[in-house]
Amino acid sequence: MSAHKEIEDDDKRGALDRALLWRLIRFARPHARAFALSFGVLAVVFALELAGPRLLRGAIDGPVGDAIAARAADPAGFDPKPHVRSLWWWAGAYLAVTAFGFLFRYFEVAQLTRAGQLVVHDLRRQLYGHIQRLDVAWFDRRPTGGLVTRVTSDVDSLSEMFTTGLVTLSFDLVKIAVLLVVLFWLDWRLALIVVALTPVLIGISMVFRGGAREAHRLVRRRLSEMNGYLQEALQGIRVVQMFGREKLVSERFAGHLDRYLKANVRTIFLFALFFPAIDWVVTLIQATSVRLGGARIAEGELSYGLFLQFWFYLAMLLDPIRELGERYNVLQSAFAAAERIFGILDTKPTLRATELAHEPAGALAHEPAGVLARDAAPPRALEGPGHVRFERVSFAYPSGPEVLSDVDFEIPPGRTVALVGATGAGKSTIVNLLLGFYEPTRGRILIDGVDLRELDPRAWRTRLGLVLQEDFLFAGTVRENLVLEREHVTPAALERALIGSCSDELVAKLPGGLDAPVAERGATLSTGERELLAMARALAGAPRLVVFDEATSSVDSATEARIEAATRSLLEHRSALVVAHRLSTIRRAHEILVLHRGQLRERGTHATLLAMGGLYAKLHAMQFHDEPPVSVPQAPASPIASPTASPTAR
Amino acid sequence: MARLWKFFGRFLRHKRPLFLGFLTIPIAALLDVQITVMIGDALDRLRGASDTEFLQALFWTVLGIAVVRGVFRYLQRWWLVCVSRYVEVELKQDLFDQLARLSFSFHDKSLSGDIASRLTSDVENIRMFLGPGLMYVAGALVMVPAALFTLIGLSADLTLFMLVPLVIMGLGIQLLTPLLHRHSTAVQEKQAELSHIAQESFGGIRVLKGYGLEGSRARRFEKASRENLGHQLDFARARGLSHAITETSHALTFLPILLVGGLALIDRTMEVGALFKFIDLTFKVFWPVIALGWMAGLYPRALSSAERIDVLLSEQPDIADPPQPVVPHAVRGELTFERASFTYPTGTAPALASIDLHVPAGSMLGVVGPTGSGKSTLLGLLGRLHDPNAGAVSVDGIDVRTWSLAALRGALGYVPQDSFLFSEPYRDNIQFGNPQPLSEQRVRELIADVCMEQEVARFPAGLDQLLGERGVTLSGGQRQRTCIARALARDPRVLVLDDCLSAVDTETEARLLESLRRAGSGRTLVVAAHRLSTVMRADQIAVLERGRVTARGTHEELLRTSAWYRETWRMQQAREELLAS
Repeated sequence: MSAHKEIEDDDKRGALDRALLWRLIRFARPHARAFALSFGVLAVVFALELAGPRLLRGAIDGPVGDAIAARAADPAGFDPKPHVRSLWWWAGAYLAVTAFGFLFRYFEVAQLTRAGQLVVHDLRRQLYGHIQRLDVAWFDRRPTGGLVTRVTSDVDSLSEMFTTGLVTLSFDLVKIAVLLVVLFWLDWRLALIVVALTPVLIGISMVFRGGAREAHRLVRRRLSEMNGYLQEALQGIRVVQMFGREKLVSERFAGHLDRYLKANVRTIFLFALFFPAIDWVVTLIQATSVRLGGARIAEGELSYGLFLQFWFYLAMLLDPIRELGERYNVLQSAFAAAERIFGILDTKPTLRATELAHEPAGALAHEPAGVLARDAAPPRALEGPGHVRFERVSFAYPSGPEVLSDVDFEIPPGRTVALVGATGAGKSTIVNLLLGFYEPTRGRILIDGVDLRELDPRAWRTRLGLVLQEDFLFAGTVRENLVLEREHVTPAALERALIGSCSDELVAKLPGGLDAPVAERGATLSTGERELLAMARALAGAPRLVVFDEATSSVDSATEARIEAATRSLLEHRSALVVAHRLSTIRRAHEILVLHRGQLRERGTHATLLAMGGLYAKLHAMQFHDEPPVSVPQAPASPIASPTASPTAR
Repeated sequence: MARLWKFFGRFLRHKRPLFLGFLTIPIAALLDVQITVMIGDALDRLRGASDTEFLQALFWTVLGIAVVRGVFRYLQRWWLVCVSRYVEVELKQDLFDQLARLSFSFHDKSLSGDIASRLTSDVENIRMFLGPGLMYVAGALVMVPAALFTLIGLSADLTLFMLVPLVIMGLGIQLLTPLLHRHSTAVQEKQAELSHIAQESFGGIRVLKGYGLEGSRARRFEKASRENLGHQLDFARARGLSHAITETSHALTFLPILLVGGLALIDRTMEVGALFKFIDLTFKVFWPVIALGWMAGLYPRALSSAERIDVLLSEQPDIADPPQPVVPHAVRGELTFERASFTYPTGTAPALASIDLHVPAGSMLGVVGPTGSGKSTLLGLLGRLHDPNAGAVSVDGIDVRTWSLAALRGALGYVPQDSFLFSEPYRDNIQFGNPQPLSEQRVRELIADVCMEQEVARFPAGLDQLLGERGVTLSGGQRQRTCIARALARDPRVLVLDDCLSAVDTETEARLLESLRRAGSGRTLVVAAHRLSTVMRADQIAVLERGRVTARGTHEELLRTSAWYRETWRMQQAREELLAS
């Protein structure tokens, strides 16, 4: 999602969404104790905060006031000792309260963060598990970066929401209310002015934050426009310099900077106005307290201690009011993140009713133990021979044209079937269908006579040896990447796989051998090396059926020879579906399926197809030119009459 | 620090607001102290007798002072923060101009995300430190001495005792800083790990599902998330400690006020008004002191940002005008490569090795060869995207390195491979290379030259149609043709097309090439292409393989002499047929 889009999404968000709020609170429910404890700690801290000024008042109106009065009454016989002793007690009490304060303030932060982070941890792993379960086709339409943001920064901003947002904000409201009551109770006449002006302060705070939010949004938009232009100009720097237009882009950038500055000046103005305005109202409250309080002190109706206590509470009241608007803003932006997260949680995988039956949504989060148990079970051995049969299989993306039409073929046990065709002919769609990543829109795929849809997809996939084009290596060691946590991959099996895939030399060459680190996406290895390792990975599982999408990129001849040998051992004595690009692989295939625009147009062996002089012959001329033509053994080849396309002979 | 002062020099360019802004700081601070002093004094005077008139006068005076203080505080923010924004904008402009000036060798080796962060976060770090940061520090540096001065006058002992908690706080925070830093780093690292796992899992979802790894990846993610939770809690505990220390020190400053102040009151060495002054000034001094600590935290980041920006600003472009640039009166467009070789700074093998080519003015050169054979690099030498390491490239017999860069590039119409266009109105893209705006008629002619009339006619906003994310999205072929029109707009003597017809269908390509030849009588044409049909009518075609010219001649000649050319031609013809079927 682009920055623009996100800012605009934020713009649309108006009032807080109550349904969303309840949904979020449901996530907090399992940790209700942690949240309750947070409120408890906050309450204790608040009580201790209230106690401090009360002790100060006690000391001043008590021993100090008594001493002053006693001395005034009898200057000669005045003995300060009892008063001083009493003052020490008050000071001791203050120290004790402060010490408790230290302890509870520490817990305040620790406990509040704990509560928030517990929820975040739950939400994060539930969200991750959910995303992982979604259809492969769903991933195809989304940039990975955006999904990563959902499980990282979006979830993090929700932690703000639970801590700063919900707990602190609601407790701040409690604080304001309690303080107003206490002030009233201390001296209702003085408190009247505070009560009268508190709404004014809250009003200023909220109005200002509203304005600041608008202004900030404008700044963010201008900033993102400016950065967008910067990126664009850097990207096009060749064109700029070749056309000698450095000055033009500099002026355009200056224009962006100017708009950015103007937007900023507005926020500066608002902030410059806000702080002095709040301070002035505060001073108005204070001056009024002095005006009214002073008169009553003079008349002896109000003690100095009480006045000071009042003064302290006044300061305590103002902090949460000042923060109110800011906390509200935090809450609002967290709601935007929450909505994005729930958008994903509400997306259900559309494939495999059975997958859902096996693993209900949210199971990962609520019952991790169940998943563990399930996962620990080794993949079931291939019970049947693993006969694959595509029956008039068609596929179309939702609201898209058919990319595969009425495809019929079989992979009998031990046979290799090669798919050839130009880019976009439908080869990878067939692979995705066989892996259960997509489901046929018409027709069915049978494994030993059982519909693929009725099999547990994970159990099915783990029976396969999978080598994908540009196969994915995970960050970790070579061994981890080859074993992939399959329990039946023993060290001996791994050794055999390395030899079989001719990657033993490659691995031996790496620093640390099998324990050599692999960078993210295998970036430190060459394309050919990655393909070899992917083949070793597939071989290590001793699969009965191999799905192999050959890489198209060219590699040096030494690696090419190794890949060829590895391919041989991968395909030997196994059923295999190969998206073939190498002539050597194709020649080894028992049957070649020629796809064109989603239709199966020709089938046969290399020699017979070549002899036919149809599509395959053309493809062959285009793609496979690594070997001289071979002598043609006679076997039947069959052009397939297609109902929609004209016969291929031309 | 010297580096940061250099940047402070940029603030000094705005003398007036800066000077006035700093002037308001002590005024506002002193007025603030004054309010406390006045109220304190009043409390003493009230003992015994009520004086309504006095109280009323006090009320209005305090409010009046508060208004003035408010005005100064407003001006202080307004002036100083504005200056910091001016400096930010100027610094960004300088950085941008520097980037626009630096040669491709610089841009080739730097990551654009990296450069962008120079302009964003690094500039911001400096601005925060030297702008609002200094404002807070200056505020604290005035407020604290002013308050201390007032308080010492009242009771030196009490003032000293009050400072003890502040010192404890300073030491405590100092001790905590490494701990806070360690935990915050741990949290950041764990979050990066979470992000990596997610990135890998979502990016490699096919392998992950294909091997049934959902469970183990989820466990791995959960483990990292749990570890993150642990680090978050450690960090929270450290933050809790720092929070507790700060708040407790604040509370502790009132202990000496209670005890020492109380004793002094009993001894009648102090009045209750003085006690009030201690209390109120403590409120007012505490937060500026916290701001000082905050500044100290900003300092290391600002310093390293300043260093990075400094490095970027002092970078020199390695391709620039010679001391006495040649500006020829008229350009014919004759091109010569004489044993030109070039190796990229990061490359191990030469990208071009000893290239010898002669292109007479007004003729067409086709450059073909496999991916990575050096076609783009060869074309780039003409406009000095790079300079050859050995040998020479000349235009009209003059070495390109002695040409005025502006004159050389002005004579070239360059169409890059990536067909880059700005997200700006269509018309602006066409006339991008022209200092003066083109007439409507000329723009339409150019559009006709590249066979784009029909497409442009369909734009909702016509020639003013915005392109890119917020406008129409052009197809690859449309982009390529627009880039050609942009190059043609300058009526260049030499037109350089870097494989920029790949997305144009063959039929349009034929029409376009025909129109290019027609429009540019006497124009030299250099065309690199993957599709041989693009260059088959060229006067000469050079076959590049691994940076060397392995064959040269016309289409017919090359079909006979170059194996690569012949094989590629056969395959491409077969593909055409297949696509047509």
